[in-house]
Amino acid sequence: MRGITPRREQGMADPVLAEMVHAMGLAEAPHFAAIKPTIQAYRRRWVELAPYRDGPVNSERTPVPDPAAMTRQIKDKAWQLGAHLVGVCRLQPHMIDLGQDVPHEFVIACCVAEDYEKVMHGADAVEEEAMRTYVRCTEISNELAAQIRAMGYPARAHHNGGCEVQAIPIFYQVGFGELGRHGSLINTEYGASFRPGFVTTDLPLVEDRPREFGVQDFCMNCNVCQLNCPGDAIPQDYVVTHGIKRWLIDLEKCYPYSRLRNEYCHLCVDVCPYNVKSHPQTYKAFMKERKQVGYKTPKTY
Amino acid sequence: MEKLYVNEIRRDGEVSTVGLFYSRAEAEKIVDMLRAIPERSHCRYEIVEAVRHLLSEKQAKRTSIFTEV
Repeated sequence: MRGITPRREQGMADPVLAEMVHAMGLAEAPHFAAIKPTIQAYRRRWVELAPYRDGPVNSERTPVPDPAAMTRQIKDKAWQLGAHLVGVCRLQPHMIDLGQDVPHEFVIACCVAEDYEKVMHGADAVEEEAMRTYVRCTEISNELAAQIRAMGYPARAHHNGGCEVQAIPIFYQVGFGELGRHGSLINTEYGASFRPGFVTTDLPLVEDRPREFGVQDFCMNCNVCQLNCPGDAIPQDYVVTHGIKRWLIDLEKCYPYSRLRNEYCHLCVDVCPYNVKSHPQTYKAFMKERKQVGYKTPKTY
Repeated sequence: MEKLYVNEIRRDGEVSTVGLFYSRAEAEKIVDMLRAIPERSHCRYEIVEAVRHLLSEKQAKRTSIFTEV
């Protein structure tokens, strides 16, 4: 199945970032040049695991008379491996990168939640936690894909070490949540503080369904990510893609804070009120800090 | 930096925004790739300048649930 959704290149392969970096007379984005050894180690880990995304399929296929039972088994395995959210949907063209062909029928989405408490230790602590979580997602999706191939069905892992699928449309379709104004998917339990790994496969499975709980309506009036964004990169109005509202982040305004300085920026997600359910005290403490430095916060904090 | 939307217009007239792009060359490359997909042959594509109000302009107005410190 051929994909129809463009993927923006990462790092200096992104023409927008490359133009801004070169305009500063630099060869590398300051944020990437200043990355700590721990984070470098995490990044090397998913590169090491990249060759194991796909592999030989067992020629003896395990029969699947009950796809619902197999789906439960796969989800149990993912949870045992450390996933916090697991869902399944049928692969559709808008879930695949433009220019890529993924020859599988289903996609399994796994998420690992970040420890939101890290937010109190600054931007670099948040980035380190994000990278740690990405590595865990890489390991889980590789392991899951290997087990499915051992049952005689094609399966390919998609993660930071290599990916041809799009996170947000898959997350929505498997019922993890809804797309928020800040451009990340919001889940009832984890807010937007989680990272993904995927497996595409032909293993017979049963689909989950989208689950809406009012995020897009809430974001229409909330604006707290927009008001806290140091670069003013989050727009007021939205566009519509495949019937879903999307607030498209202005990268020219985002990058000066997220790529062109040493420190990480994750504020749009960190200030999202949907974090309050999973970490009420930390969220309130963090927002008090934000208030002291002059940012808008929910009235009660 | 130039800011352009690529919109997909389907047979029934529904418009779906493909994305925000930062040069005409980048936007045109995306449109060419989409046009090359036989399954999308029923769609038309347009490249339009991003309307200023759709991009970020911090609003001075307060919302009902948030307050300025």
